[in-house]
Amino acid sequence: MPSATGTTLSRRRFLTLTGALAAGSLALSASTLWPRWARAEPELATRLLRLGRDIYPHEAIADRYYLAPLAPLLEEQRELIAAGLDDLDRRARAAHGRDYAAVDSAAEREALLRQIEDGEFFQTVRNTLVVGLYDNSELWEPHFGYQGSSWEQGGYVGRGYNDLVIDWL
Amino acid sequence: MSTRFEHDDDGVVVIIGSGAGGGTLAHALARKGIKSVVLEAGKRYALEDIENDEWAMFEKISWLDERITAGPRQLTETFPNLPAWIVKGVGGSTIHWAGVALRFQPHEFRLHSEVGDIDGANLLDWPISYEELEPYYVQAERHMGVTGEASGMPLHDWNNNFMVLAEGARRVGYEKLRAGPMAINTRPYDDRPQCMQAGFCMQGCRFGAKWSTMYTDIPRAEATGYCEVRPNAMALTIEHDERGRVNAVVYADAEGNLQRQRARAVCVAGNSIESPRLLLNSHSALFPDGLANSSGQVGRNYMTHATACVFAEMPKPVNMHRGTTFAGIISDEARLDRSRGFVGGYTLEVMSLGLPFFAKFMDPANGGWGRDYAAILEKYDHLSGVWICGEDLPMEQNGITLHDSRKDQYGLPVPIVYKGDHPNDGALRRHGQQQARSCYEAVGAVRVFDVPDFPTSHNVGTNRMSARAEDGVVNQWGQAHDIDNLFVSDGSQFTSSGAENPTLTIVALALRQAVHIAERMSRGEL
Repeated sequence: MPSATGTTLSRRRFLTLTGALAAGSLALSASTLWPRWARAEPELATRLLRLGRDIYPHEAIADRYYLAPLAPLLEEQRELIAAGLDDLDRRARAAHGRDYAAVDSAAEREALLRQIEDGEFFQTVRNTLVVGLYDNSELWEPHFGYQGSSWEQGGYVGRGYNDLVIDWL
Repeated sequence: MSTRFEHDDDGVVVIIGSGAGGGTLAHALARKGIKSVVLEAGKRYALEDIENDEWAMFEKISWLDERITAGPRQLTETFPNLPAWIVKGVGGSTIHWAGVALRFQPHEFRLHSEVGDIDGANLLDWPISYEELEPYYVQAERHMGVTGEASGMPLHDWNNNFMVLAEGARRVGYEKLRAGPMAINTRPYDDRPQCMQAGFCMQGCRFGAKWSTMYTDIPRAEATGYCEVRPNAMALTIEHDERGRVNAVVYADAEGNLQRQRARAVCVAGNSIESPRLLLNSHSALFPDGLANSSGQVGRNYMTHATACVFAEMPKPVNMHRGTTFAGIISDEARLDRSRGFVGGYTLEVMSLGLPFFAKFMDPANGGWGRDYAAILEKYDHLSGVWICGEDLPMEQNGITLHDSRKDQYGLPVPIVYKGDHPNDGALRRHGQQQARSCYEAVGAVRVFDVPDFPTSHNVGTNRMSARAEDGVVNQWGQAHDIDNLFVSDGSQFTSSGAENPTLTIVALALRQAVHIAERMSRGEL
């Protein structure tokens, strides 16, 4: 679990970013949907995005939901992130002759990440994302079938808490 | 405006903690006209502060002061500063508990006599029998509103999550399947509404349908005029006179200023980490090893239940997040039966987590990510889960000690919470995991997988009850063997863990202790 402070920070950041995204959502270009820090360093942001999408891969979830929680790392821990991404590229070139993002096979990319999963860089990204991605209420119902807060609707009495029919046996 | 007592009023009982033990005790004493001051380290919350949001509530109410997780267990790596998932706030962990209100079984009070000595385990019988506690169990069930006979409330309807587990359980031959007993109203009871099946029991019940001292015992105790609750009051040391009787508690108030509340008696109910920590921190020239510690058992025999979780993906959506969090109980394995290869039993309790917590807790170790991990999360609404609540044998080396240099925000040594498994715990856990797996396979699971321990909410045993002073910290009334006006009123007085959730037993013991304190006061002994 991230420290309480870390969680609070990422949550506050996330809210800030959501506001920023809403304001910018009229723009047509996809990259303007990126959070501010991601726009400031698009090259680093693109590499970090690839990494994030490989840690918790969900094809149907748009890039901005990964970038919103990850982009603040580019500001707060830029050195760790930049060095970690460079290291990952070195490992990819040694194993496959190309940068990490250019390794086509998702299985091969995951294998590269398994080598660094115990390191601070990887765990910083993962711990940020496991909260930042899965604690985003916009994604809950459409992607995971999780409905979030229910008390405002009177809970689930009469709304499907005890309606299961086990008809698959 | 509730009653206020003077700091130098030496006629009050000082109760440290406002949860299942302290909150219940304060209310029970108040109804007998006995004055108390409750020192609660956390804030006071209102029902409106309770959100259906896992991370928000975790941040809001958890006890997050520095602690060090230690011992040969996964939590040491995955949650190095969060050995326990308990609450800092008025109401304590009764805000967070899920409402499962099981009695201990008669044989669990005399486990040592039943099974004899076991290598590596510090087994001991309770100095109290089931028969002695039974009337207080009945009282506690009425008091808390536990579904079933005592309250007259029917059990809950089975929710989808329990239907899945129970169907599998039936197919493997289990028979003791019940959606209770729960201290969660199935109809209006005790001026509280019925359960709305909202989920989020462990984040606090927004409706107040689940019993919690936060909105029952604490405000009712205050309403009598005999109890003052001081939130944001962190007890630092208990003081004593030259004869060794306790007479005051020093605490830090909301502004961090030190205050001293004089006391007629002191009841410690800060949960099984803080309670022994406070006794150890209260060492003096007369008691160099800490208060009530002539046995050397303060802080030892820390038990958490032998636990694990098993989750399964079903062929169709289950929506485990709908309805109560711990919605049903299987008790067939709770018996004592050494032929299974371990002593003690376990209950299987169906459970759910929301997506935010499930994503974190499914595998909190470094390897908890990747395509398979994400694929399970994509099937979140198809999942069902079960938690194993098993007898955890007491071991002397499992316990709470004080760090020799790290200090917290109050200048107190940070507690080190050391816990390892007894081989019996491992055998029980494996058996439970296999049985849970069999249940889910019998009901057609697509896949079944183990989920490791969470930071524990069941912390017991660190100031245990014993018949003889040399074996434990308190006697059958929770009264310290060494100091006759010092009591322990929480789960730390448990002599063994049982296979049942601890809250009902904590409440029954607190009600019984209140009677004892009142009797001794009326005889002029306190």
